[in-house]
Amino acid sequence: MLKRAVIARNLHKWLGLFVGLQILIWLASGLYMVVVDIDFIHGDSLVKNMQQAIKIPTSPTLSINDLKTNYPEAKQIGLQAVMGKTFYTVSTAEDRYLFDPHNGQLVSPLSEDTAKEIAIYHFNGKARIVRATLIESDPPMEIQTRRLPLWRIDFDDRYSTSFYIDPYSGALATRRHQFWRIFDFLWMLHIMDYQERADAHNNLLKVAQITGLIFAISGVWLLVYSFPGRRSKKRQNMGETNP
Amino acid sequence: MMSFLKKLHKWVGLIIGLQVLLWLSSGLVISVLDPAKVNGREWMNTGIANPIPLPPGVLLEADQLPGPLTADAFAINLAVVREQPVYRIRAGDGEKLVNAIDGSILVFDQADAEELARRDFTGKGAITATSAGIAPDLETRNHSGPYWKVQFSDEADTAIYISASTGDVLERRNQYWRVRDFFWMLHIMDYQERQDFNNILIIIVSLISIWLGLSGFILLFGSFTRHDFYFLNLTGQREQVLITLIDPALAEPKIISLRKGSNLFLSLATHNINLPSICGGGGECGKCRVQVVSENPPPETSIEQGLVPKPLRNKGFRLACQHEAEHDITLMLKERTLEGGH
Ligand code: FES
Repeated sequence: MLKRAVIARNLHKWLGLFVGLQILIWLASGLYMVVVDIDFIHGDSLVKNMQQAIKIPTSPTLSINDLKTNYPEAKQIGLQAVMGKTFYTVSTAEDRYLFDPHNGQLVSPLSEDTAKEIAIYHFNGKARIVRATLIESDPPMEIQTRRLPLWRIDFDDRYSTSFYIDPYSGALATRRHQFWRIFDFLWMLHIMDYQERADAHNNLLKVAQITGLIFAISGVWLLVYSFPGRRSKKRQNMGETNP
Repeated sequence: MMSFLKKLHKWVGLIIGLQVLLWLSSGLVISVLDPAKVNGREWMNTGIANPIPLPPGVLLEADQLPGPLTADAFAINLAVVREQPVYRIRAGDGEKLVNAIDGSILVFDQADAEELARRDFTGKGAITATSAGIAPDLETRNHSGPYWKVQFSDEADTAIYISASTGDVLERRNQYWRVRDFFWMLHIMDYQERQDFNNILIIIVSLISIWLGLSGFILLFGSFTRHDFYFLNLTGQREQVLITLIDPALAEPKIISLRKGSNLFLSLATHNINLPSICGGGGECGKCRVQVVSENPPPETSIEQGLVPKPLRNKGFRLACQHEAEHDITLMLKERTLEGGH
């Protein structure tokens, strides 16, 4: 019969062949995620004017009840501040609208120029806009769950920040930057869902986890045999000093 | 180099091996638990989520709402909640609902909360207790403001949390979530709040453990030889070498044939010849010493220089676990090694 230490050592060596790389990936991606502050990843430091107080229009040309009459199928009518000014939002089952209460004008969908203005209004710092793109279909991975269309406004700051502006509400829907993208990529590696980057319960992951667990147990088990104890160490030293 | 990495690997393993074990096992538990059960979606009434259009008839305008409520609001929305048109007003101090017909502020009492919870929860079980809460606890940690906790008698021990100011279902908690949350705590090493994975403890342990991974990864490459993959038959040859073993206690030497390139310590063990060892062939204990008495002892390794005294090395003493069977060789074993092998 093979000795237990031999079994543990072989287990550790051969399982390492299968999960060694993944374990290293888990450790490295985990390290990034714990070291880089999550609020920074979310881009909190890149935005300003996030919560704008709403000034209620006093004698508007267009009232909420006017909107109700014009859109009897409306499910929601709201007030929303855009660059410090108040607007109405209207949502029906299919569509959304943005109105200026003071002149009653429909202002949505917002133009590229307005979207840029909004982006600059929220951008905390000085940077140039390098690109504005209206995304109507095939969203990039980083806004997959968001409602389209969205204006993507790219800045030339050192984080390659992108702001996503909703052309039907004027809101800053979300923001992404290089460190977020790295985080997202590493999260994909961490949960081993290489398509959606969202399913932390996939079978590949489970198989790797079980293999990894046996691998780690064999490693801890090996520790028992890897510290031969003081007595043999003394003998070792004697051997080295007395030729 | 290798012996340094080995030392690094085992010492780092000794310090944080247990946490690595915890990371792997907690990760496994989290991924195995069914997410639909963990977040209560499994027993959630999905029919009530869809809002209906606003009713006809004149409603209050925003400037007719109670002034103090809208003064610092950053979101005001008119929608139907529980069959009645209401303004949902969000401000720094939380969210409130105002009746859009008479301007009264909605509050949700115990009976409302129980009704709302019963509407939301489709699992088997009745309400056993309802209690009020103000300060967020572990289960309501993502929310502020007063709430009701409605406890059900189902097998998963579900508690539905209802906001006292909006009537919203804040959380659906159950045993699955609690187990998941406990292991999540172990995974991110935040033993108080269970949500901050940027805490200093996990940063330190991660910084240490990356060395375990890196050294292990390099050692992994070093631990394999071409001969480990003999079953793939890469070279197309299956050469054998003869090992002559002398046990001073026995009259006759024993001759065995080993696959060329196989590790001496391990392949002797598979022939039931167990050399003394603590570390199991790891080059750590120095116990697997044998004396090469034929003319061709293999060159010393750095590990042997640390574990076998020089005069012995000069006499041909080597560690069996550090060498492969490369050619025919004669080994002198410790007395009675062969006898004891059965
Ligand atoms: S078996 Fe421990 S050093 Fe060879």
